[in-house]
Amino acid sequence: MFSKILIANRGEIAVRIIRACKEMGVATVAVYSEADRNAMHVGLADESYCIGPALLKYSYLNMGAILTVAVASGAQAIHPGYGLLSENPKFAALCEQCGINFIGPSSDTIAKMGDKNQARVTMKNAGVPVIPGSELIKDAAQAKEEAKKIGYPVMLKARSGGGGRGIRIVKSEDEMESAFLTAAAEARSAFGDGEVYIEKYLSPVKHIEVQFICDKHGNVVCLGERECSVQRKNQKIIEESPSPFVTPKIRNALYEATRTAAKTVGYTGVGTIEFLFDKDKNFYFMEMNTRLQVEHPVTEMVTGIDLVKWQIRAAAGIKLDFNEKNTPVRGHAIECRINAEDPLDNFKPSCGKVELLLIPGGPWVRFDTAIYQGYEIPPFYDSMIGKLIVYAKTREEAIRKMRAALCELVVEGVHTNIDLHLNILSDPEFESGAYTTDFLSRKDYL
Amino acid sequence: MLMKDLFKKPGNKLESDEQKPKTPSIPDELCVSCPSCSKAVFKAELNESFGVCPSCGHYFKIGARARIDMIADKKSFVEHDAKLTSTNPLAFPEYDEKLEKAKKESKEREAVVTGVCRIGGYPCALFVMEPRFIMGSMGRIVGEKITRLFEYATKKSLPVVGFTVSGGARMQEGILSLLQMAKVSGAVKYHSDAGNLYVAVLTNPTTGGVTASFAMQGDIIIAEPGALIGFAGPRVIEQTILQKLPPNFQRAEYLLQTGFIDGIVERKDQKDYIARILKLHSRGVS
Repeated sequence: MFSKILIANRGEIAVRIIRACKEMGVATVAVYSEADRNAMHVGLADESYCIGPALLKYSYLNMGAILTVAVASGAQAIHPGYGLLSENPKFAALCEQCGINFIGPSSDTIAKMGDKNQARVTMKNAGVPVIPGSELIKDAAQAKEEAKKIGYPVMLKARSGGGGRGIRIVKSEDEMESAFLTAAAEARSAFGDGEVYIEKYLSPVKHIEVQFICDKHGNVVCLGERECSVQRKNQKIIEESPSPFVTPKIRNALYEATRTAAKTVGYTGVGTIEFLFDKDKNFYFMEMNTRLQVEHPVTEMVTGIDLVKWQIRAAAGIKLDFNEKNTPVRGHAIECRINAEDPLDNFKPSCGKVELLLIPGGPWVRFDTAIYQGYEIPPFYDSMIGKLIVYAKTREEAIRKMRAALCELVVEGVHTNIDLHLNILSDPEFESGAYTTDFLSRKDYL
Repeated sequence: MLMKDLFKKPGNKLESDEQKPKTPSIPDELCVSCPSCSKAVFKAELNESFGVCPSCGHYFKIGARARIDMIADKKSFVEHDAKLTSTNPLAFPEYDEKLEKAKKESKEREAVVTGVCRIGGYPCALFVMEPRFIMGSMGRIVGEKITRLFEYATKKSLPVVGFTVSGGARMQEGILSLLQMAKVSGAVKYHSDAGNLYVAVLTNPTTGGVTASFAMQGDIIIAEPGALIGFAGPRVIEQTILQKLPPNFQRAEYLLQTGFIDGIVERKDQKDYIARILKLHSRGVS
């Protein structure tokens, strides 16, 4: 086991990782920006070091500063959390070169899966179902030709895109030429890579993902699926596990595809494969996330596996002591992402001092956060300030519990999306479990 | 404000055996310090940005081989006269040691690499000077290799593309090195008289005898941004003429303004730019 780990992240995920380390007896090193001097993770870690000004590129994305702190403090491993440097193959490679364990898959795997087109081709070759699509497109004429073969509507997708960015929907051939030129130009300016490819545009769809973990001894274990179809502008808001849509038969097929995918790329650590389901219950590989996910707690609740601890253990070479048979998915868990934003003002991010904070409690209610009463939420970072997770025996009971917990959660001083969550949880469409990713765009309470 | 000692330590012991202590360290070759902004730059990042500092835009000197990789089409470069190397004809003190050191540092036998290649699919003869070999200074072998390249290009009707970086003539070879200015100039003239194109790319620094001969003889002369290009250095000139020199004196931008060069091209655009020039002068051949 590593005796000391540096956490290259901030907010609730940094706190989550530090907690796991404390239980495991691992010393922790926090890094922080000038704007985060009073952040929870800074106080909680055994050592903490300021690595630069508030802007991400000067601090949390400053690879040189983070590696310097890791080396100087003698950290044996770096946990990147999610976002920031967690899927940056260059950072993973630099860690490898400095003799530091990057807690995640190899830089090579990250690079392979980060290239969305290469990931698709790799999965297709391995026999994992992928959305019908093209290779990389050279010009508008080829785009038209390929789109005709696939059938409109289609999506133009940036090879280097991700997280819902770099996507353009094309409904007919007339729109293709201008869509192709703007999509390529946008991709070039946003991701520094103008390569795009075409995929069939499926709608309506469900976004369902499978959590898996691989150790360094060749074991792959799937830990249930998560239903993430409640989204706003491609950003997930509510996640639940298991998915009300997935039958045991579908789950088996999803697990099979996931195991094949993980083994094909020689994966180690925790990872997630995102699938899209069309209305006929066909599923397609969308992408592989080579890191811990924001919504990992719902999986922890229904499987009883501490994913962060096992992620660290797997990176340290420890063999998994559980398998799919002895880790069934039990009960139902729901997570609501609590954002500091104003849904009544076009979701404008909200920052300022947390004047009053009351956190719900009771059995199987969990609130992962890094805010505290009196804390000043800085304007520089992601607006997610916490994740409220509940667990119950049935989905219906979990929804009731979440409603009660949301009403007990009080964050004063900043705007939040708590009321929006309450609206969603009382919506018959959500209650039915049949909702798709366009669910929120059709609601007037938004 | 959260006080550092607000939280108690749980005192849990490490849950399983500690890994064999592998002390992490940052290998020397991992990053370099930018001479202009002093920021640490990762070498991998520097290679991707064609040797230009990502934070301040400073142009790092790059070796001849790296430049060939950057300019020539993949696997198209065929080297000429790779074995030619300098001796010490005047028995100049410490020159032998200097040559040995230069060879070790640059991993080259001489301060210029010559050959033929394709750029954007267009064939040409290419010479690239090596800054780590006694600052790209011109001795007999540098002159000989470039002369031979021009002669070959004349025979084969090939355009020549040349990248210069040089402190000038190599003083350890005395008059023999100065002679190279005339020798190369003659070969450039024959090449030109035969109707062939010569594109010179001046990089930082291009000075002395190299500026006074083949660097300035290109049909088209381009330079890298901020490159120092001149004969004698600015300090020497100031002390000689006892006048203050204009700002930017001897820099590429000033030379462009005063008509000595035809353009300034960023490193990342050079391949496309040169390929376009070669295309325009290809007489329909590719």
